[in-house]
Amino acid sequence: MTTLQGGLRKSVATLGKPRKATYVVLAIFVLGSLFPFYWSFLVASRDNGMLTERIPPFLPGGNFFANASRVFDSVPFWKALGNSIIVSGTVTLTTVLFSSLAGFAFAKLRFRGRNGLFVFIVVTLAVPTQLGIIPLFIAMSELGWAGHLQAVIVPNLVTAFGVFWMRQYTVDALPYELIEAARVDGCSMIRIFWNVCLPAVRPAAAILAMFTFMMSWNDFLWPLVVLDAGNPTVQVALEKLQSGYYVDYSLVLAGTTLATIPILIVFVLLGRQIVAGIMQGAVKG
Amino acid sequence: MRTIRNGLVLALGITMTALGATACNGGGGDQQTPAAAAPNEHVDLTLATFTEFGYEALIPEYERLHPNIKITHRKTGAGGPYHQDLITKLAAGSGLADVTAVEEGHLSDVLDKGSKFNDLSKIGPADASPDRWLSWKYDAAKTKDGKLIGYGTDIGPLAMCYRKDMFKAAGLPEDPEQVKPLFATWDSYFSTGADFVKKSGGKAWFDSAAQNFNAMVNQLPEGYISTDDKLAVETNQGIKDAWTKVTDAVAKGESAKLTAFSNEWNTGFKQGAFATKVCPAWMLGVIKEQAGPENAGKWAVTAAFPGGGGNWGGSYLTVPTQSKHPKEAAELAAWLTAPEQQIKAFQAKGTFPSQVKALTDPALLSKTDDYFGAKVGELFAEQAKKVQKPQYKGPGDGQIQENASSPALQAVEQGKSAADAWNQMVEAAKKITR
Amino acid sequence: MTVLDKVAPEGSKAGERVSPRPTFRHRLSRWDVKISPYLYVAPFFIVFGIAGLFPLLYTAYVSLFKWKAGSDDPDFIGLDNYKDLLGDGQFWNALTNTVSIFLLSSVPQIILAVLLAALLGARLRGATGWRVGILLPYAASLVAIGIIFANLFGPKYGLINGVLQTIGLDPVDWQASRFGSHVAIAIMVNWRWTGYNALIVLAAMQAIPKELHEAALIDGAGTWRRFFNVTLPLLKPTLIFVTITSTIGGLQIFTEPKLFDALPGSNNGGSSNQFQTVTLYLYQSAFENYNLGYASAIAWMLFLVIVIIALVNFFLTGRLARTPAVKKK
Repeated sequence: MTTLQGGLRKSVATLGKPRKATYVVLAIFVLGSLFPFYWSFLVASRDNGMLTERIPPFLPGGNFFANASRVFDSVPFWKALGNSIIVSGTVTLTTVLFSSLAGFAFAKLRFRGRNGLFVFIVVTLAVPTQLGIIPLFIAMSELGWAGHLQAVIVPNLVTAFGVFWMRQYTVDALPYELIEAARVDGCSMIRIFWNVCLPAVRPAAAILAMFTFMMSWNDFLWPLVVLDAGNPTVQVALEKLQSGYYVDYSLVLAGTTLATIPILIVFVLLGRQIVAGIMQGAVKG
Repeated sequence: MRTIRNGLVLALGITMTALGATACNGGGGDQQTPAAAAPNEHVDLTLATFTEFGYEALIPEYERLHPNIKITHRKTGAGGPYHQDLITKLAAGSGLADVTAVEEGHLSDVLDKGSKFNDLSKIGPADASPDRWLSWKYDAAKTKDGKLIGYGTDIGPLAMCYRKDMFKAAGLPEDPEQVKPLFATWDSYFSTGADFVKKSGGKAWFDSAAQNFNAMVNQLPEGYISTDDKLAVETNQGIKDAWTKVTDAVAKGESAKLTAFSNEWNTGFKQGAFATKVCPAWMLGVIKEQAGPENAGKWAVTAAFPGGGGNWGGSYLTVPTQSKHPKEAAELAAWLTAPEQQIKAFQAKGTFPSQVKALTDPALLSKTDDYFGAKVGELFAEQAKKVQKPQYKGPGDGQIQENASSPALQAVEQGKSAADAWNQMVEAAKKITR
Repeated sequence: MTVLDKVAPEGSKAGERVSPRPTFRHRLSRWDVKISPYLYVAPFFIVFGIAGLFPLLYTAYVSLFKWKAGSDDPDFIGLDNYKDLLGDGQFWNALTNTVSIFLLSSVPQIILAVLLAALLGARLRGATGWRVGILLPYAASLVAIGIIFANLFGPKYGLINGVLQTIGLDPVDWQASRFGSHVAIAIMVNWRWTGYNALIVLAAMQAIPKELHEAALIDGAGTWRRFFNVTLPLLKPTLIFVTITSTIGGLQIFTEPKLFDALPGSNNGGSSNQFQTVTLYLYQSAFENYNLGYASAIAWMLFLVIVIIALVNFFLTGRLARTPAVKKK
């Protein structure tokens, strides 16, 4: 490698170091993002009257725990929480696993029909989903699954979105050299996937996990239609709070605030995984 | 239908077998009218309702009275997702609850699909006879061939709510008895409104044009759909007259131009954006909630309604033919809609009963509301009796109100000419009934 | 797997050419190479078979009938629903609205997302916090979003019109004006989805080896040139992904215009359908008018439109990101 001049060496070292402006711009975006949450919490900690004030108050009131306990009295929150964790947890794990596997195959392995199958998967994304619940309900009833959690889990075990994403990511993130090296070492395909591919695509998998968990957690209409009354997910249970000719938003938003906490936990846990893949070092070496 | 269904089942079957999945033979039941269960046989019933029916305490009571029956209550909060769920399961041919609540606005569609619901006058118990209900409520749930597909639960008899302070400021009387003449007819209502706008310095008289128009159309002998199921929007002079009156009032500045149930409409209550409001029984709760304590004592309600009486809202309990236990389901629906039970529901959640006996119940008559300073139970019982015979609601009637006339009036309030908006409504209504 | 692990290193290379009859191990390895790809993509197709295929066949079939939900015998009418649709002004109006909202939202959204990703890719203090923060709108409850945006864009009491009036401008009737409503909805869409796309792009940026940036820096490339000549070309697969999914999502836009309507739950898209999108129209046909046949035809027509526009975008994105400045590998 050529010797670097002093100034250039310094700029290489500072490559990727953020400027102050970066923080300012990001802070503006994050404030805009946080606002609805803060606002929801404000309403949840006060009462409905806040909604018709032209200038809303800036500080939370003292009613949050009272409103939250009304949520617990009105809906089977804990049972619904358990169901949602089972459903979203399962769906997230399988979607990430199956999408990474398929993405690996489509990006790096050669097999007959590869391009055709991949295009087919992408094309299924373009099918509007609004009407799907009628035939899906017929299918689930015929299978005898209506009313059971698998009716919510199975259709989402792996998604076209996930496969498409993991394939696009794997194409560039996983160098062929690494696969070849592992083949030479006699690794089986599944071993290559597990030990070479998965670590390389970790940021993408983490993001897919975040998105999938979110989608599944906030899914409402399909669980409402297909699950039994006594066995709801969180969103289905919370919807009952919006009953009556006028809606008590301090109650509703106390419920949604509670229901968002698990999402935030998952976001923080997975957000840490969006770091440069191990390939950085591997390519160098 | 048979061939179509078979075709679908075949398609599903091919899909399943192609993938080696095994279809269980559940659902798909083609058996007609299942026999009633033996007297003490265990029966599971499902009951589906939305918003608040006030049945929470009644269900365990019914189970105590009928130890062999176990009820699962499927409660949805809002009417929107509830009715989408209903249509999905109606279309899918399975999954509907044994006792399924249907809102008045969706009744015309359900009547149109009468073959999917049991005739309660045949399978229901004898005590659920027509004289239990106000006749207009009972008759509205009969199909053209005379099937009764729903038992009435609650109603929304119409009265008028108004702002006493705004009336006073504009030189109008504010006592509930003295304002009655202002609300005698739609003409007196709108002309008083025009005066009010002038005297109040441009304040609005009512909240939204569609709110009045709906009530006016409902009072006509025939509605959007004639009794021979033809679209009558263009031929029914009553509709055109109502349209002219309402849009004239908008032109005179009587409307606050707030879309009902929108966020700004809610705010409008607190801001005092309008002086009168078409007021079904359940609207009192809305006003109280939105106007808030700071406006206490300003709103009043009077036992008068332009053009006589009217109803907005309320529901029915149906028993879909999908039910495996139609007889038991009909018994449950009949029991829940009996006067004694509906009075308990009224006490629990304020759902106004549609049963004749319930309307004279002391628990109802003694009900007062301090926010409005009125004996509201007695007042709305009186208004309920003013409703004339029900208007025939042909297929598509509810959607014409929701998706043709209301948006067209909203367009007028947003600046569209009354003539253009009328054409828009006619076109939309034609599409709906096509 | 463990067997292969322990014995494979010496075996695999030498064996293949020498022995005419492959050993069991080699055959296993060949089978592994041949079969594995199919096994890996199989889960998608199994799930699709259970939950995706039947709905497709069902709507295709139903679209050939005058099929009212719950009615007794629908009439077979062939392609009449499709013919009606081509002559249906409301459909074309909805399609125009959809494309307009799509353009107003997707284009700024993708540009912003890439820029945001570049900022997030820097070595920030508290990186996780920033990333999670940017994704939060995606997690916000629809109830809250509906009320907040109604408060912002209310024609009478809305905050934005209040500000406009304070600085001496005319208020905009965000509900009544066609273009105004599209802008408001696009803002709502962008607010919800920019962070989401930014994170996708960020993940892809993480995979770009730092050496490439260093090399370009040594060649004297500035920040912008590095961005255009190093980052963008390497982001190509991801940009294709983002463009195609945003196209599909944008053309199926449903939640935001529905939430935006002043009349809660309405599918009309305003008083004169001024912001009714295709999916709203589809939904209205099916779940308000009970017209499943027609709704299915709308769904298939929309599908066609999406595929065509997505293909166009696919080629455009390919062009844009094909800057041959960096040699890969």
